[in-house]
Amino acid sequence: MARSPPIYLNNAATTWPKPPEVLDAVRQSLALPVFGSGRTTGSQGEDYATLAREALAALLNADPPEHVAFTQNATDSLNILIQGFLAANGDGCHVITTALDHNSVLRPLHELERQGRIQLTVLPFENGFVGPDTLESAITPDTRLMVTAHGSNVLGSVQDIARIGESLHDHGIFFIVDGGQTAGHIPVDLRALPVDAYAFTGHKGLFGIPGTGGFYLRDPESVAPVCYGGTGTDSFSLYQPREMPERFESGTHNYPGLAALAAGVNYIASVGVKTIAEKAERQTAFLIRELKSEPNITVYNESPSLPIVSFNIRGMENDDVGFILARAYGIVARTGLHCAPLIHRAIDGGRGSVRLSLSWFTTDEECRIAARAVKEIAQNADSSVGSS
Amino acid sequence: MRIVRSVRHKSCADGSFMKEFLLDAPVPAGFFTYLGNFGQVESIPNIGEGFYRFEKPDWFSIKGFIGDTTVEVRFKKEVMDLTVDFLYFLFSFYREGPRDLSALKQREQAVGRRVRERLYGPE
Repeated sequence: MARSPPIYLNNAATTWPKPPEVLDAVRQSLALPVFGSGRTTGSQGEDYATLAREALAALLNADPPEHVAFTQNATDSLNILIQGFLAANGDGCHVITTALDHNSVLRPLHELERQGRIQLTVLPFENGFVGPDTLESAITPDTRLMVTAHGSNVLGSVQDIARIGESLHDHGIFFIVDGGQTAGHIPVDLRALPVDAYAFTGHKGLFGIPGTGGFYLRDPESVAPVCYGGTGTDSFSLYQPREMPERFESGTHNYPGLAALAAGVNYIASVGVKTIAEKAERQTAFLIRELKSEPNITVYNESPSLPIVSFNIRGMENDDVGFILARAYGIVARTGLHCAPLIHRAIDGGRGSVRLSLSWFTTDEECRIAARAVKEIAQNADSSVGSS
Repeated sequence: MRIVRSVRHKSCADGSFMKEFLLDAPVPAGFFTYLGNFGQVESIPNIGEGFYRFEKPDWFSIKGFIGDTTVEVRFKKEVMDLTVDFLYFLFSFYREGPRDLSALKQREQAVGRRVRERLYGPE
């Protein structure tokens, strides 16, 4: 019954398909011996880490490129930044996050709170946003850190991190932004934004493959390394180099992953983030308009800034809707809590939702088929027959 | 009908444990009617070949489509070790047409006692 290839609308989890250039880059990266700076006498392969670093720095307008460090994914980046901030600045401070955040932020912070190392405030949201007054009233003399998502992976809302960052910096508070859902989807100008650290993942909007991520860190001294080891540089020293990016990059890089990431970012640059965002906005608006026309369907954010549409069908479990979409229509979505439990507690009583998320490669025809399928399921939800 | 193997599994947000099973034959329309002898069945007949959901509270739920060769089963994790055998029996015992369910019903009662005891304490 399933369509092959599927209509893939789970891009907020991992984008698929990838640009052909990305697949070629992975193959090419393994066709020659890898070139790891300081780790080989060979010169056959490309320096994929530098290529990816420079591509990302250009895309995010982040300088210098060496202040971009690579990790396994956004969760890894956020853990390094949060733990490293405490390692550099000491325990006992007050930290702010929001109910819009993903478990990649909530779990590290709640664990630190449980260990008695921080005091934590989780800000509520309204209509997908944390209000300025809510933030201001949460700041205390002990507040040293705020960690929050740039874009919500459930609601598709994008926080005004310029305004939030200015408020925080007025109080001398360090600002870590989780860019897992925004990098590659909307323009991000880290030179202009009052952000101290910005975490990203490679396999979502940047079109890389799973296993790559990283972060930009404005002031390296503000975060201490929490992982130590070989960097291929300054090897006589028994201590971790202080310089970026070696400060945070111990061990051999994921060269195929970084080759893919560089190719993905270069592909985005060739299309243009603005062009990508405009197409996504048009298709997302179409989907929402269609779903809203069906009275049985509840859409949780009718004007998202990211290509994310979360909804439920009255009288049906979100999991059943996802199952039917996959099996009867060949449409891949995601259901449940999306690793963001506090959002769901607020919007749907913790039941979870169905999420459709688009990418640059999603076609208008796929959006039409998906909208028709969801509406058909909603229209038939009332015809559910029970027996026992 | 027989379960061939489990092809996928995950822990669900509601605490249940999901397993997707591959069957040796497509699910016939009569199968979910037969399941109605052991729990509640809900269906949406107009979607695909017909979507069905079987619920046996405290044990497991089964969902799938008529004509499909896989079903998704969500086990209540705390008693999964007690109920998984019964699931296999439910499939292997199924035959088209009238059948005597008394042996399966006896087994259901015996497992049911152990499930209740595990979840709610001795009666």
